[in-house]
Amino acid sequence: MNLVLAFALVVALFVVGPLLIVVPMSFSTATSFEFPPPGYWLGYYRAFFADARWTQPVINSIGIGLATMLLTILLVIPASFAMVRQRFFGRSAVNLMLMMPMIVPHIVMALGYYSYFSHLKIIHSPLGVVLAHTCLSVPVSYLIIAAALKGFDRNLERAAMNLGAGPLRTFWEVTFPVLRPGFLIGGLFAFIHSFDEAVVAIFISGQAASTLPRKMFDSIRIEADPIISVVSTLLFGVVLLAVISPLIWRVVVKRPV
Amino acid sequence: MVPPVGSAAIKSGSSDAKAWLLLLPALAFLAVFFLVPLGQVVFFSVMDPGFTLKHYTSFLSDSFYWRVLWGTFQTAGIVTIFALLMSYPLAYMIVRMGGHFATVMLLIIAMSFWTSFLVRTFAWMVILGNNGPLRAILEAFGWSPAPQLLFTRFSSTLAMVHLLIPFMVLALYSVMKKIDMNFVRAARSLGATPFQAFHRVFLPLSAPGIVNGCTLVFIMCLGFYVTPVLLGSPREQMIAGLIGTQIEEFLEFGEASATSVILLLVTLAIFAIYNRFVGLDKLWG
Repeated sequence: MNLVLAFALVVALFVVGPLLIVVPMSFSTATSFEFPPPGYWLGYYRAFFADARWTQPVINSIGIGLATMLLTILLVIPASFAMVRQRFFGRSAVNLMLMMPMIVPHIVMALGYYSYFSHLKIIHSPLGVVLAHTCLSVPVSYLIIAAALKGFDRNLERAAMNLGAGPLRTFWEVTFPVLRPGFLIGGLFAFIHSFDEAVVAIFISGQAASTLPRKMFDSIRIEADPIISVVSTLLFGVVLLAVISPLIWRVVVKRPV
Repeated sequence: MVPPVGSAAIKSGSSDAKAWLLLLPALAFLAVFFLVPLGQVVFFSVMDPGFTLKHYTSFLSDSFYWRVLWGTFQTAGIVTIFALLMSYPLAYMIVRMGGHFATVMLLIIAMSFWTSFLVRTFAWMVILGNNGPLRAILEAFGWSPAPQLLFTRFSSTLAMVHLLIPFMVLALYSVMKKIDMNFVRAARSLGATPFQAFHRVFLPLSAPGIVNGCTLVFIMCLGFYVTPVLLGSPREQMIAGLIGTQIEEFLEFGEASATSVILLLVTLAIFAIYNRFVGLDKLWG
């Protein structure tokens, strides 16, 4: 048993160790990837925030992510209502269709979008990336929103209607407020999915609409630019904050005053 | 599942028509921006400019392509096995120990899970690099000069194991946490050794998690683009990297399309087998 525990700890170290290395790298004075760093400074942080070749992709990624989020939930919410609440012929085929973008390898779609969007003249534009990312975000968003909908107690709607509310009023004053957290989480996952998506963005976003993952990919492959370690540390920091903040929150709230 | 009881009171009119109306935006969008580009890939794989199978015959008759395909399978298999062997004990200990240990371990897994593939790939680039810590350690132990680590099959395989372990752990954990430990205790009280209790009771009960995790990791690995391209050997590409090269360097859309269709068919075949024996809704349920 102790041996299994020791092995589990080694695996945990293997999972977390490589993540941590990006932090000291970002303060390094080295001009190429070198560890341990020969010295420490903040120069590459300054360079990152001053360099439009890095800040522009960050802005692009956030904008594309937000647009993808909005479009995805607008498509997925009505679809989820149909899938969860109605029984109709062809339902399992529709289910497969909604999950399809998760099944097809992204590199295959990258090729498809490359030629299709060239034809439509929306390649290398934010619009093309948003359209592609929306398709790819539908499955994850659908899983979350449909799950939220399944857990919804329809007696609430029945009560509202018994009390004289029409279907529209019931939706806006009962159904929607109760399900809002589920919708938001479905949207958040669409945003994250778009923000992290690399393969399709590498092939269709081009220089003008370059997303952050595309810029990072190019930077690692072509330039070996040390600023990549700053970006990596910042992204890792955001994840770290997001993952541990619920825990801290719980500790703070639980503490007796 | 929603019970049909009383739902007639809320629904009005034809429910079929209502369902299709609600589905229309999503289905129309996916048809135009997902099915059409996907269909184009299939279409271009058999056209040049008229109907032809030459892209497939040139793929299937060239031993280079077979090596890529076989190498991709091999790598995906190795990554899946190592990810399983490393993740299983960790997931098992999380379930067995519970408490703060489980919280910290799940936190570590979540941290890695949510950190971008590119960040983690970059981290391996530093660790395995020529001026990186791993080579320095090997040289300190007397292996001098240390072998080239980066841009080999070893480096991309190692990084993919690291990238995919969180998926495997979560797949295993979600099944393991539902296992009733009283079964294991019952086996122990009936005279089973700890190993027998694990081997005969816990392991079979965790099998759905193993199947889910392995299917997920194997499929993700088959189509993996970013990490093998950045860390792997340019001479031993995986199939996704090959598609990328065919697009970027040679602008060979016919060949790239045929290669894509082959990757797609392999992926769909694995999903179909999974669906036949387990049911697709369980994979992401």
